[in-house]
Amino acid sequence: MTAPTTPSTPLVDKAQYGLAAFLVLAGGYVLLDAAGLEDGFADQPVQPYTLPYVVGAALVVLGILLAVATARGDRPEAEEGEDIDLTQGTDVRTVGLLALVLVANIALIDVLGWAITGALLFAGSAVVLGSRSWVRDLAVGVALSVGSWYGFYVGLGIPIPAGILDGVL
Amino acid sequence: MDLLLDGFQTALTPENLLFAALGVLLGTAVGVLPGIGPAMTLALLLPVTYSVGADSAIIMFAGIYYGGMYGGSTTSILLNTPGESSSVITAIEGNKMAKAGRAAQALATAAIGSFVAGSIATVLLWIVTPQVADIVVTLGSPSYFALMVLALFAVTAVLGSSKLRGFIALFLGLAIGLVGTSTGQARLTFGEPLLADGIDIVVVAVALFAIGEALWVAAHLRRKPLEIIPVGQPWMSRADWGRSWKPWLRGTAYGFPFGALPAGGAELPTFLSYATEKKLSKHPEEFGKGAIEGVAGPEAANNASAAGTLVPLLALGLPTTATAAIMLVALQGYGFQTGPTLMDDHPDLVWGLLASLFVANALLLVLNLPMAPLWAKLLRIPRPYLYAGILFFASLGAYSVNFQAFDLAILLVLGVLGFFMRRFGIPVLPLIIGVILGPKLEDQLTTALKISEGDVSTLWSEPVAVVVYGVMALLLTAMAFAGLRKPSAGNVPTEEKEMVER
Amino acid sequence: MSIVVAYSADRYGEAAVEHAADLARKEHTRLVVVNATLGSSLVDSRFAHDADIAALRDRLVAEGLDVVVRHDVVDDVADAVIAAADEEQATLIVVGIRHRTPVGKLLLGSVAQRIILGAHCPVLAVKPTG
Repeated sequence: MTAPTTPSTPLVDKAQYGLAAFLVLAGGYVLLDAAGLEDGFADQPVQPYTLPYVVGAALVVLGILLAVATARGDRPEAEEGEDIDLTQGTDVRTVGLLALVLVANIALIDVLGWAITGALLFAGSAVVLGSRSWVRDLAVGVALSVGSWYGFYVGLGIPIPAGILDGVL
Repeated sequence: MDLLLDGFQTALTPENLLFAALGVLLGTAVGVLPGIGPAMTLALLLPVTYSVGADSAIIMFAGIYYGGMYGGSTTSILLNTPGESSSVITAIEGNKMAKAGRAAQALATAAIGSFVAGSIATVLLWIVTPQVADIVVTLGSPSYFALMVLALFAVTAVLGSSKLRGFIALFLGLAIGLVGTSTGQARLTFGEPLLADGIDIVVVAVALFAIGEALWVAAHLRRKPLEIIPVGQPWMSRADWGRSWKPWLRGTAYGFPFGALPAGGAELPTFLSYATEKKLSKHPEEFGKGAIEGVAGPEAANNASAAGTLVPLLALGLPTTATAAIMLVALQGYGFQTGPTLMDDHPDLVWGLLASLFVANALLLVLNLPMAPLWAKLLRIPRPYLYAGILFFASLGAYSVNFQAFDLAILLVLGVLGFFMRRFGIPVLPLIIGVILGPKLEDQLTTALKISEGDVSTLWSEPVAVVVYGVMALLLTAMAFAGLRKPSAGNVPTEEKEMVER
Repeated sequence: MSIVVAYSADRYGEAAVEHAADLARKEHTRLVVVNATLGSSLVDSRFAHDADIAALRDRLVAEGLDVVVRHDVVDDVADAVIAAADEEQATLIVVGIRHRTPVGKLLLGSVAQRIILGAHCPVLAVKPTG
């Protein structure tokens, strides 16, 4: 392999402040939620809000600690893996498009049913990930989604709602 | 002993033998494939398995667990890509061996060593697990509560390089575990009735291990193909056997206890085994250039440690690895009360599993040794299909739990969380264990305080609890001390990691 | 003026390279070896290892040929070969061809076929002997 040209990372990972803010907000919400809880029944020695208070407070503290650590130059070690090349930056476009495909699946599944949206999900993801033969992608997707529908229905006895294809499948 | 024989009877029925073989093959395949590991596979299979018998499903999971490790070592040797930190050492020496034309021997010593270590460790499991369970069963709620806290603490603080990030993961997990109305009042449900039963742990597991991972990999896809070393049938010469058998045994001796400890992990014993073999070897000059001892020992340690992690899982109901955590989820999904009573309540299931580990191990050797060249072909699957397939099956699995589009939305949200966790180096394991153990922790605390009628001092009224808190205090002090002496303590294995990357 | 050869690291590619090298030697033209991959899978056995492609180049150079090697990750292998031919003003493209069943053709398509259809110069298809 050629020597990795590591992009010169800035001293402070600014995005990590975002994570710290998220933790403080999440912790704050947990605390707020806990404050709205009432005393438990007489047979509940542990009040319903005890653990939420602990968890919420801990999240807020951890968020602040992370912000402090970030300011002092702490940088995350992004996860490595067999199929991961960290020398290049994050491919935001691919991830965004994949998320869109998943959102489309959520929006359409109640109407169209898994047999159709599953195929679209597979083909869509494959195209986003760089496959260029979309006819083959769609064929594989349809085979998988219809196959899994029948597999669940016949093999496992789990009837997945058929959606628009009700009566056809 | 009778129980063990009964266990073998369960494991050797044709149906379960088939599931064991299926598990072993599937496990090896996902171990070889980039981007999929045993934990993700189990998570994806969780929804499907509930329609299969409990013993069959658990037996298949055991096969996947062992098979995944075998597949991982194959790619470490042939491609120099350690999928997990525990196979880093295998990649160092094994890939050097392969480059020197000894791929067949490296694969053989890894496979046979895994078999030897797995077999010995399984026998140790038969002996140790019931005894540990017998002791723990006599403990009261305060002690069990203490053990749970220790397990959470150990997984969070001892494993992984950044304690801060470990705790972030843990408390995020505990927060997710709070969701629902288990205490009679709605907690963190955002007024959404669909959240009243809490977030299904299956959805959490699939989101973090499958969606999060697929998105993360998609953002950083490797473009240039890796150079694979062609391989034929694995085999070893007499001299190789002579140099391998002692490292196998020593590696097993390191691996099992570390795996059985709540925070041992598989990384440390492989490093220890490597260091030991290097010291004891008659050919120390070969180390770093492809010494067979350096593959045999660490691989055995890795496998023995994996078997060891089943001790806390089965005897205590405390998972210490991602794969074990998902096996626990599966057991709970079948309605089993996990914990020290599992062995007494369901001896047939536990002994069936313990026996089938032995069967899976043997199957692995018989099926896989001749198939190594075939497995290497799996690496040619185009990535778009691989990751599209992961997203497909993850969505299918999450949807099939309740047929709710809402579950898919949670899947996506938590998947995005999983993506950002990987981006910020936050470990997934403490989170998933926090989700699983959080509610149990609350239960156990409630039980303890009910018995004591609200007297908090009951928590340290039992000697075992006191000892456990003592151990935790010791660990904390040691960590604080180490932190003071080396303010920005770099992680130890960095050097080896760099060696691998080159 | 040059001859472009589409090289894959197998016996089909070997046959193509040998044939192209013979022609280049006879016609005293430059030889452009293109070895490309989509990079869509973790391992592509037809994409030559760095060391192997260097050895191939050294061997051809030692035989006295003017050799250029293009060893790249590309979006489309056939397009990459045609583009190389255009840029190097090739008079000929040499490809190795393999037997495919009808189903195989349907599913996988054929790089050789797409080169033949898309090229702006003559294409020579070579089969390995035996």
